[in-house]
Amino acid sequence: MSCVRAVLLAQCLPRSRAGVQNAVLPGALFSQVPPFLPRGLHCSSSPLSSVKAPVPRPPEPGKKPGEVRAPHEELFQPAPGGARDKASFALAVQNFGRHSVRKRGHVDFIYLALRKMPEFGVERDLAAYNLLLDVFPKEVFRPRSAFQRIFTHYPRQQECGVAVLEQMERHGVMPNKETEFLLLQIFGRGSHPMLKYVRMRLWLTRFQNINPFPLPHELPQDVVELATLGLRRVEPDLSARVTVYQKSLPADTTDPVDPIQPHIVGIQSPDQQDALARHNPARPLFVEGPFSLWLRNKCVYYHILRADLPPPEEKDVEEIPEEWNLYYPMKLDLDYARSSWDDYEFDIDEVEEGPVFAICIAGAHDQETLAKWIQGLQEANPALARIPVVFRLAGSSGELRTASGLEDSRQTRREGQVDHEHLQRQQQSQS
Amino acid sequence: MNGYGLFLRRAAAARACRALVAFTASRRPLRTSPQSRAFAKELCLGKIEKNGVFPFPEVSQEELNEINQLVKPVEKFFMEEVDSRKIDQEGKIPNDTLEKLRSLGLFGMQIPEEYGGLGLSHTMYARLGEAISLDGSITVTLAAHQAIGLKGIILVGTEEQKTRYLPRLASGEHIAAFCLTEPNSGSDAASIQTRAVLSEDKKHYILNGSKIWISNGGLASVFTVFARTKVADANGSAKDKITAFIVERDFGGVTNGKPEDKLGIRGSNTCEVHFEDTKVPVENVLGEVGGGFKLAMNILNSGRFSMGSLSAAMIKKLIEMTAEYACTRKQFNRKLSEFGLIQEKFALMAQKAYVMESMAYLTAGMLDQPGLLDCSVEAAIVKVFSSEGVWQCVSEALQILGGSGYMKDQPYERMLRDARILLIFEGTNEILRLFIALAGLQHAGRILTTRMNELKRGSVRVIMETVGQRLRDSLGQTVDMGLTGQLGLVHPSLEDSATKLEQNVYYFGRTVEALLSRFGKSIVDEQLVLKRVANILINMYGMVAVLSRASRSVRIGLRDHDHEVLLANMFCVEAYFQNLFSLSQLDKDAPENLDHQTKKIAQQILEKRAYICAHPLDRMS
Repeated sequence: MSCVRAVLLAQCLPRSRAGVQNAVLPGALFSQVPPFLPRGLHCSSSPLSSVKAPVPRPPEPGKKPGEVRAPHEELFQPAPGGARDKASFALAVQNFGRHSVRKRGHVDFIYLALRKMPEFGVERDLAAYNLLLDVFPKEVFRPRSAFQRIFTHYPRQQECGVAVLEQMERHGVMPNKETEFLLLQIFGRGSHPMLKYVRMRLWLTRFQNINPFPLPHELPQDVVELATLGLRRVEPDLSARVTVYQKSLPADTTDPVDPIQPHIVGIQSPDQQDALARHNPARPLFVEGPFSLWLRNKCVYYHILRADLPPPEEKDVEEIPEEWNLYYPMKLDLDYARSSWDDYEFDIDEVEEGPVFAICIAGAHDQETLAKWIQGLQEANPALARIPVVFRLAGSSGELRTASGLEDSRQTRREGQVDHEHLQRQQQSQS
Repeated sequence: MNGYGLFLRRAAAARACRALVAFTASRRPLRTSPQSRAFAKELCLGKIEKNGVFPFPEVSQEELNEINQLVKPVEKFFMEEVDSRKIDQEGKIPNDTLEKLRSLGLFGMQIPEEYGGLGLSHTMYARLGEAISLDGSITVTLAAHQAIGLKGIILVGTEEQKTRYLPRLASGEHIAAFCLTEPNSGSDAASIQTRAVLSEDKKHYILNGSKIWISNGGLASVFTVFARTKVADANGSAKDKITAFIVERDFGGVTNGKPEDKLGIRGSNTCEVHFEDTKVPVENVLGEVGGGFKLAMNILNSGRFSMGSLSAAMIKKLIEMTAEYACTRKQFNRKLSEFGLIQEKFALMAQKAYVMESMAYLTAGMLDQPGLLDCSVEAAIVKVFSSEGVWQCVSEALQILGGSGYMKDQPYERMLRDARILLIFEGTNEILRLFIALAGLQHAGRILTTRMNELKRGSVRVIMETVGQRLRDSLGQTVDMGLTGQLGLVHPSLEDSATKLEQNVYYFGRTVEALLSRFGKSIVDEQLVLKRVANILINMYGMVAVLSRASRSVRIGLRDHDHEVLLANMFCVEAYFQNLFSLSQLDKDAPENLDHQTKKIAQQILEKRAYICAHPLDRMS
């Protein structure tokens, strides 16, 4: 598998290099999106992880076609017509108790159940974890002598208990009193799962809300809603308005010319609108992208409409009009300013960037689609019609894009076409 | 200053107090300059400008008789015939009431007599204002008519304009309105969008635009309208400037929206006014073309001082009404008036009313002085203090009555609603505080410029001087500004308070100097600092006013002057400690100063546009 990847990588490399060289024309800023990201970051399976992970990974389906099924797998087979939900998961766990009264193989069963939890949609359910812990026989693994206490007593079972807690931790599930009671009953006070539990009680509370920009646990399925979520996350201004410029058509429409109509969702704040209205029409705007944005396990790509930093002589100087405030002076007629010993500002070197006027997330990353976005933007920004727009699309970053899988066919088709810059001038005089 | 800033100041003040007696006679400076300067601005330099403030301004006996004759029928009319409750409920002043107001001449109080008005001085206008203050709606209607609506004509109108408009405005046949506010322009004159364009024959201006929240907008037939015009600059380029126009409703194209539904002053008419291609003759330009901004500022500045006497009259009335209740209602076999917490409220109301009155008439007296004196800061101080005082007092009065005060059949809830507007119109109190502080700092900053520059350049002499001064201050510098002592301006019964005032003024001067050297002109952006500067100025002006007035009362032997002394001393002590606290907050790195935290909290909230904290019942698992 990895050999095949390496070959693919080698094939991609020269082509994307060429793309980058094409794109790095004077003034183009591509530092934001490295066309190549290290492969390992996004690999779903790395050989090491399967060894280290406490939960043994499920056997890769493609690897060994004739592999034997894990023991107790049949318990999780869906009943004919039955849904995979919390109730059926609980039933499976109960069935195990009935099936093997002496709880033989319960460690294997728990590992299996942990792997199966996402399928049943109970990976964030505290009750399910407590149910799973309840599978352990009680009192058996508690150390009874000092020696037992010093050395890990029943290590395989304790590891399994820790694995349950670790999966809870990974999904941000906070154990409760019932969990504590179960662990005490099963492993006793000084055991490893109990220590893990205590640490979780301490740290989960501190880390659960550490992200100042939380995402919902369940991402919306609808692409437009997902795009809206992504745009809101990128745009800091709360008064920014999200506009859906185009909705994606269902895939089964039989349009011979262009069967897929990608969705286009954009965001723009009132300040950006004002800035765009004031923009000098002689200076072109750039549509750049795609830039990636990860929302949990999904990746969306956005494009920005930006301009270069206006040269200092063109910047409109903010002057205080003479007759401005009816009630109090807006500036004092004094010729001394703040003294240096009362200036608490840090000496920060601020690098000014060119303004960003709008952001969009579209289903396709080609110029055709983005031109539609620009047309849509013109409704709210009449000034845009007079300004030339340059498309600078990094077509070569197809590497990442396979993750979303939606548009690679179109993308690869157009790669050569969008690599170089296109100057598109919208002429208002025509309309 | 360290955490004991407040304590140290008090100690210093006490020492100064003791040392004062010895130094008084020898140290009093001799003042010879006849021209008195603006009082409040001088306070920022740590000086008390005594001319104009001491003695308390008086009116002659004839004037007093005249005003009493005027006031009596007006008071009677308001007590007996005006039904404020009905006006509030119906949202309209009945026509016969308006007719009676006209016949009493109340529409032309400040219009000169040769144009058919009463020609009252500021002092007399303030006194007559007391009589009409019993109904908020009528007060606002009259104030919008003459304090701002037609003020422009009196201030800068040509002879022709005056003879044309003033007589009918004075009689009340025409009502005036002041059209400045626009949907996008509250205090921001740069965003006024109403535009006046000179017609081709140069005889008319074509006026287009809309104004909102215009008091008397539906009743008025004469409008003072501010609009943008193209004015040729000195170097020939055309520039947009604001010009004032007198617009008659008959010029055509003037329409108004339906009256706004308001919280209080419901009887006054407030609505939108639209101008559509209104042709205004060139003769109706008020003042110079392009001089509208200054005119608007002048009108707004001049209209404010009267709020003091109006509010004081309202509180006096409130005291009468609630005292009646407190002395008759019994709970636990004791009258309400015997409870300390109720007594406190009456003391508060009396004190506020006393300070307001003193400030208002002191300012009116200053305005009536011959010579053009800029009293805009003082007027703003009066407005801020009295509007906040009256809001607090009405609320306390309502509280005295408890539940029945909350009911619609008592007048308190209406008065509370009416009083709320005072904090908002004619410049919100926040804006006026900035004005008070910045006007004072501008004055002080100009005079201190050379000193500041030398300090910044590191002139050894100035630095040594400053250090020496600081040292003397910290050791308990005696402060004497000539208010007290054997031939002092303040009566000996108020000596303590006067010393306190002197202390405050002295340290305030020091603080202003320190603030200016710290912030320089960037102090404009330090609004929380400016608020404190303004608060101190307001308190100090109040202290001067009550000291001056109470001293006069004692000396000429007015009745119950001991009560006045009590009120004056009480206010001075309270204000003194408030000032000390504010002054220590203004020190660098003062622990009393929580501005940094305040700003941070606000920033975090505004970033999310919501209350941030989790619900107290939320839990982690």
